[in-house]
Amino acid sequence: MPPQVKYIIKRLLAGVAMLLGLSVLVFLLLRAAPGDPVDAYINPSAAMSPQDLAALRTRFGLDQPLPVQYLAWLRAAITGDLGYSLQGTGDAVLPLVLSHIGPTMLLMGAGITLAVVFGIAGGVLGAVRRNGAVDLLLSVLAFLGISSPAFLTALVGLYLFAVRLRLVPSGAMLTPGAPFALGDLLAHLVLPAVLLSIGHTALIMRYTRASMLEVLNADYVRTARAKGVREFSVVARHALRNALLPVVTLIGSTIGLAIGGAVFIESVFNWPGMGLLMVTAVRARDYPVIMGAALVIGAFVLLLNLLTDLAYAAVDPRIKVG
Amino acid sequence: MRRRTVAKLGLSSLLLSATGLTLPAQAQDLRTITGGFDVGPGGMPGNFNPMTATAGFTWLSLYFEPLITYSAELDKFVGLLAKSFEMSADQTSYTFHLADAKWHDGKPFTADDVRFTFDLARNAASGSNFAARLSGITGVTAPDAHTAVVKLSAPNAGFLDTITKVMMLPAHAMAAIPVADVARNAWWSTAPIGTGPFKFNRYVNGQYVALVANPDYRLGAPKVDRVVNRYFENTAGAVAALRSGEIQFSYVESDDVPNFRADKNFRVIEGNSYVVNYLGFNQEVPLWKDVRVRRAVMHAIDRASIIKTIYGGAALPANCGYVAPAFVPAGLDPYAYDPAAARKLLEDAGWAKINGDKPITLITYYNTPQASNVMAAIQAMLAQVGINVVPRIVDVPTYNATVYAAKPDFNAFPLVYAGLQNGPDPSGINIGLNEKQIPPAGANIMRVRMPTVTSAFDAALAETDAGKRPARYQAVCKAMNEDLPWGTLWVTSRYGVVSNKLKDFTWVPAPAGGPYDAHPERWALAT
Repeated sequence: MPPQVKYIIKRLLAGVAMLLGLSVLVFLLLRAAPGDPVDAYINPSAAMSPQDLAALRTRFGLDQPLPVQYLAWLRAAITGDLGYSLQGTGDAVLPLVLSHIGPTMLLMGAGITLAVVFGIAGGVLGAVRRNGAVDLLLSVLAFLGISSPAFLTALVGLYLFAVRLRLVPSGAMLTPGAPFALGDLLAHLVLPAVLLSIGHTALIMRYTRASMLEVLNADYVRTARAKGVREFSVVARHALRNALLPVVTLIGSTIGLAIGGAVFIESVFNWPGMGLLMVTAVRARDYPVIMGAALVIGAFVLLLNLLTDLAYAAVDPRIKVG
Repeated sequence: MRRRTVAKLGLSSLLLSATGLTLPAQAQDLRTITGGFDVGPGGMPGNFNPMTATAGFTWLSLYFEPLITYSAELDKFVGLLAKSFEMSADQTSYTFHLADAKWHDGKPFTADDVRFTFDLARNAASGSNFAARLSGITGVTAPDAHTAVVKLSAPNAGFLDTITKVMMLPAHAMAAIPVADVARNAWWSTAPIGTGPFKFNRYVNGQYVALVANPDYRLGAPKVDRVVNRYFENTAGAVAALRSGEIQFSYVESDDVPNFRADKNFRVIEGNSYVVNYLGFNQEVPLWKDVRVRRAVMHAIDRASIIKTIYGGAALPANCGYVAPAFVPAGLDPYAYDPAAARKLLEDAGWAKINGDKPITLITYYNTPQASNVMAAIQAMLAQVGINVVPRIVDVPTYNATVYAAKPDFNAFPLVYAGLQNGPDPSGINIGLNEKQIPPAGANIMRVRMPTVTSAFDAALAETDAGKRPARYQAVCKAMNEDLPWGTLWVTSRYGVVSNKLKDFTWVPAPAGGPYDAHPERWALAT
């Protein structure tokens, strides 16, 4: 068996063990949190008797000992059945979770793309026009972006662009009930994506500017200019390529941060992604959905890590897997 | 050179900003009312099974209908799927004369459907919330297709109130579903059939539900083609959508009301919340045994100021569990704000020995900014007389897990700030105050054991003469006012905001969202 295949099998087996550990951890954390799905179901203003609540717990299987509950979940999960949501219509968890991954990826992808494009462009511009009016303006904007908390920018953005100016819809991913239209999707996407990108844009901009300034003073850049290379080529080909190396590392970590930011943005804009699903599920103590979502996200991250490691090996011959 | 770099950057910006200029898809040929019908305490987003619903009846009653419902003023019962009804002299038999109605699939609605629905709703195996409340039904008969008779084992003053929430279900469409599968069957969210003015059309998980007009509705075809119920994670999102013109209706918090009142594009609907807010004195801890301490709490809190400054006047002080004039007798102690009297009462009761200035947890599930202000005000006012309460604001599951625990830690909730539904049926608060409702039998979570209060409730519940019932509840009110099982505070108003584009729209901030006589078939959009 080729060492690469062995390595992949080893990593996959380790991943399964990690997912098992993750499921135990999430299961125990959920049970340690105050209140269960039945507690979340009761409207305190329309009281129910503890007898009725006990009947509900029996119906949901919550009266069983914890190991029994966990093993029942695990047995079903192994067959691909992650159970049913305890809220409302009792949707099957797996399709429910999968249906929320796409919107989150779209929002995150758009937000990070905006951050990368504007962050790098702003950073380059700031470095090229160092200490000029443009640089000063971009620096002020970057500091504002970095220091503005997401909850503030999201709410201010919502109020200004959706409520006051009515340029974009105030929430959701598509106009409810309307047939799908790309323009409709983009109109709903633009504000949350821009707001999600603000902090990251500012950060990338500062990193790019600092990195570019360092590179622009390097001997090879001076040599390129002395050889009569056009300024655009000097900046874009000679300087930017090298300046981007630390920025790329930053962008990698930005993706992780963006997941956290997306949870908040999705709540504010009612964006039907994983963040909104998780927030709603946690509020309702919807154990099957929280467990299922954690498992799917965990599997996704493990798979991405494996693919990244394989990609490193493919790109850099010095790195060997297996 | 630099110009070209800037030009490239500018082009990127232009492409991105172009997406922002794309207007939302508002161009819809269909006349559509979009609202946040499940926003706020009367809503229950994502629940389509009326038998397991604890709220959300505003929306459910657009396509399902009960036999009878409340009038829009919530002061009397009116027929809906029952044209009329009568009660036997001994109040153990109700005869319903059914309207000539059809299900959304064209099949006729008959007395068999009534029998099917009641049998299902009183069967706990179906997951029905009504099983206990309908347990007094001994049988449902159908003398003919248009007459249904419900027999009870004993008179039940709350029976009519209960059945306003029992939505009629189609026997022909549901009979094949095993009873145990009814609660979470996909039928509810994919192809439910009702008799109402709108038909179920589409549900997009967590986003919205759409209904389409039922042109054959017996009270006339609806004036709009569709009604869309949009879901919001919080009220603020609904308010933003309302202001931006994306929806035409939503429940709003009272903080938002002044802005909407000042805007001529909107109409504010105000109504009684039918929830009495109170300070619950846990009788299992030694703090509140002496009625003088409970009276001191009442005198220490300046309810008028809180109502004026925090609620903007949108609440009525409650000196017992009720504020409806019919249930409030003359001569109640108004417990006027009097810190000096409160201090004297505490001194007489020996408060220094009972507790002194040791902290007392005041737990609540009300977690809005407004509720936080109320808690802070109560804390400050009680501190002035020497009662040191520490507010603890938690979410609903945490609160319920604390107070409903099988083996509760009473020290975790010595004092609660809570609310309980006190109308339209006044018997609603019995479950929280009657000694017979101490868990596990009921929800008397504060373990109130006050014979006068219990006997007053028992007498009111047993009263079969509707004319004498208000006097019975006045006796309940008086007993509550004297014995103070709770420190009753106020009944607040609740609000809905409607765009002026919406015409002939009826909405009432009824507990659990109703149902009530809303006539959705008359709702229209201005042309």
